[in-house]
Formats: sequence, structure tokens, C-alpha cells
Amino acid sequence: MLLKFSLYACALLVLVSALSVPVFLLHASMPFWQAAGISSIWGREWYPYEHLYGLLPAITGTLWSIFIALLIAIPCGICAAITASELLPRHLAEKARIGMEVLAGIPSIVYGLIGLWVLLPFLQAVFDMLTGHSLLAAGLMLSLMILPTIMLMSMDALQQVTREQREAGQSLGLDWSTQLTRVLMPQAWPGMRSGILLALGRALGETMAVMLVVGSLDRLPQPFYNILQPAQTLTSRIGREIGEAAFGSIHFSALMAAGLMLAMMGLTISLLGKR
Amino acid sequence: MKAVIVLFALPALILPVACLGYILWQGLPALNWQVFSGQGMSGFAQEHGLYGQVAGSLLLMLGATVIAAPVALALALFTRLYLKQRLQTYVTTLLHLLQGIPPIVYGLCGLILFVHLLHWGISLLAGQVILAVIILPVLVLNSLHALERIPGEQTEAACSLGLNNGQLIRRVWLPAAWPAMLTGLLLGMARALSETAPILFTATVFSGVVWPDSLFSPVTSLQTHIFYLAQEGANSQVVGVAWGAAVILIALILLFSAGALWLRRVQYRHRRMSG
Repeated sequence: MLLKFSLYACALLVLVSALSVPVFLLHASMPFWQAAGISSIWGREWYPYEHLYGLLPAITGTLWSIFIALLIAIPCGICAAITASELLPRHLAEKARIGMEVLAGIPSIVYGLIGLWVLLPFLQAVFDMLTGHSLLAAGLMLSLMILPTIMLMSMDALQQVTREQREAGQSLGLDWSTQLTRVLMPQAWPGMRSGILLALGRALGETMAVMLVVGSLDRLPQPFYNILQPAQTLTSRIGREIGEAAFGSIHFSALMAAGLMLAMMGLTISLLGKR
Repeated sequence: MKAVIVLFALPALILPVACLGYILWQGLPALNWQVFSGQGMSGFAQEHGLYGQVAGSLLLMLGATVIAAPVALALALFTRLYLKQRLQTYVTTLLHLLQGIPPIVYGLCGLILFVHLLHWGISLLAGQVILAVIILPVLVLNSLHALERIPGEQTEAACSLGLNNGQLIRRVWLPAAWPAMLTGLLLGMARALSETAPILFTATVFSGVVWPDSLFSPVTSLQTHIFYLAQEGANSQVVGVAWGAAVILIALILLFSAGALWLRRVQYRHRRMSG
């Protein structure tokens, strides 16, 4: 009886707190939506001291950095998974997996150090930039951070293709590349896809590393494909400004609105992953 | 085709290892007893040593685990005991959705609720609860997975012997599922150690605290300390301390995640031999 009661109580507690997260965000960002209106989502200017709260630069920055990260991490991660699980001998593949699992555990702030003190000087030298702070830097950092996720999930997916399937392919006389594209990839794709979506969610919410390298400048890329200039993402804006925004002010509420947008994007991505 | 794939895989296989190597190369020389204890050290951020930060990180992580573990266990048991199959899938979906929300958003919610509305201020407890919420979905999903792997025959046999729910849990479920649950717990602890953004503005300060007086006083932590040091990149001594702190942090995280990997390996071997 006591057991049943306490289990029910715990479950109720979790359910209530889960549901209260979006309610909280909505409630806390309400003053902002009322003051600035929904149109501030595509407003281009963000100057909290002049009460201009356009979210578009941060949203664009988030999308750009994720796009760059995926553009690099998907092909590299999947190819690495294929190499590890199909080409390397078994004991080397296991070592590669352990290495990747270790790397998946390195905290984002340490990647941030690498970005700040290795990547930025490198970009500065190569592209002749002022400091190296840029969307490109953020995208490169993110790609490094989500690589282990994509590779590990893809490797799992490839190794779950049954031996019968492989043998059937071989007995048909398929060569290696046909076997890969016609037998292995179609079978493993659902697993790879959920790995990619997981990585996408991680890239979306990544704060520290991005915050250190993106430059935190609220400006739309000019022209829109210019990824070599400092920019801002939703996460870096929250991280940079939440400390200085007074509780209860419109600025604070605007940052909550940025958090709400992040949460909605994250939820959309995990809903996509459920299918 | 093989060549192209290996070519794409190379950066994914080499770069992460190079990163880890670089961190160690930079951080290990900077580490000695003085940097850790602060004896005889002077200068920006060095006179207190790093042990306060290590203690803060561990306190945050332990608190989060102590809060999250019982709730996670209770929720998993509740789901398996009392919910129908359909509702069980709803629970896992909900947990996946919660996992999809970026950690910094939980930080924002915690900032409003704990720091401002409940007047805890920037405090150890706020950080612990926020981290607990962040690792909760992982813990529950892992426990659920472990419970699902228990063969139905065992549960049925236990029930037909007339065991009540409490006995069923204590005598059948927990003995079979605890290694997998512990694996999940260790992974959750590693995760709690590596999260930085959500505690940056809710639990930690830069300096002035070595050992928190109570649950309601702010702490320092390795993660956020690295972040603050990263902004002082012009000072080469500070850079050294930052890399040293990064190595300590990674070592702590690896302690937990390597434990988890080892446990998983043992279980895998065990299952393969018995099944």
C-alpha cells in the first residue's frame, strides 16, 4: 500500500514538473510577447537598452551553425562508422568505439577551450580575419562535438544488420560497394537517422563551446551566406545576457522567449526522431 | 568507393584523438600539487588552488544523483508495475521529449523557480535540482530498459508463488536489473559533471567560495571555473591553469563513464555466456 502510494506520488511529481516546463517558459516570456509582439521573431535588431528585441539574428545564427555542423559531421561520421564496422578488423573496431565513447564524454566547455585557443587563431590566420570569432568557428566546433554521437549510432545500426542479410548479398555476388549501398545502408538507415536527429538536438542546445567562439554579435550575416563574421545563436545569447538581465524586466522576459524557441525546436526534433 | 569512404572517415577518426592528445599535452604539465592546493601560489584565480572547484563539481553531481536516482527508480517501477503497454510507450515518449529540451532551458526554468520565486538565491541546491532534472530522463530510460529485459517468465513465476509487489521488486527485479541500472547511473553522473551552461547562472560564482556553508550558498565548480578562465586568455599562467582544470575535469568524468563502460561490457559477456 505504502509502495503503491509512493510510486504514484513520484510519477505524479515527474509528470507535473514535466508539464510545468513549457508553462513556465510561456508564462515568463509573456511580458515580452505582449510588449514586443510576435513580429519580433523576425525583427532584425537586438538592442536591449533601446527596447529592440529582434530574434532573427540569433535564430539565423543557430540554424547556420547547425547546418555547417551537420554538413561536416554527417558524411564524416557515417563514413567513419562504415570504416570501423565494415573495413577494420574486429578488435580495432572495438578500440575505435571505446575511443569515441570517451570523446563523447568530453564536456563542452573543454571543447570550448580548444575552439578558443586553437581553432580561432587558426581561422584568423587562414581567412585573415580580425579575431576568428565567426559562425564558421561555431559550426566547426559543433561538428567535432556531434561526430561521436553520429558515428556511434551509425556503427550500432550497421552492426545490427544480420549475418543472413550479408550472406544473402554475398551469395548474389554483389561487390563491396553494391553490398554497402543496396544491403547495408537501407537496413541501417533508420538507426543512422535517429543518431543524426540526436546529434541535431545536441547541436541545438550546445551553449558553452558556441558561446566562446561565435563572437556574440547581434547582426545578420551580410550577405546571408557570409559565415565568416561574428554572430549570435539563441543559446549564446541566453548564456551571455542572462546574468545582466534583471529579473522581471522585459529583457529577462525576452531571453525566456529565446529559451521557449529553443525548447520548441528541441521538442520538434525529438518528435521527428520518434517516427 | 572504399577509398572515398576511408578518406572521409579519416578526419573523424583522427581529429578527436588529436584533441584529447592536445588537451593532455597542454594540461598535464600545468598540473602539480601547488596548482591544486594553492599553496605558495599568487596571481589571478590561482591563490586558492583548484580543490574548491573540484569539491564544488562533486557536490553538485552527488546532490543531483541523490535527488534523481530514487525518483528515476520509482518512476521506472511505477511504469512497469501499474501502467498498460500503451501508457508505457507514452511514458518513454515523454521522457524522450524531455531529453530533447536543451539543458540551458532547464537552467532558465530553475533560475526563475528556485533562484527568484523560492528565494534560494544562486545556490548549491538550485544547481543540484536542475542537474537532477537534466539527468532524470536518462536514468529512467535506462532503468526501464533494464526492467524490460527481465524475462516475463521470471515475473510470472514470482507472481504465481504469491509474492506481492514489494517482494517481486526486491527479490526478482532488482537483483536482475541492478547492474544495468548502475551503468545508467554512472553515465548520468558523468553527464552531471560535464553540464556547464545550466549551473553557470544558477549555482556558481567565480571566486570567494572555497567550501559552501550550506545548501543555499553559491559554490565554485570546475566547469564554470574553466569558462571564467577562458575569458582571460591573455595571461599565459591562467591559460595553463585552465588546461589543468580541464584535465582534472576529464579525468573525473572518465572515472564514471569508464566504470559504466566496464560494467556494460561485463554484463554483455555475462549475457552472451548464459544465453
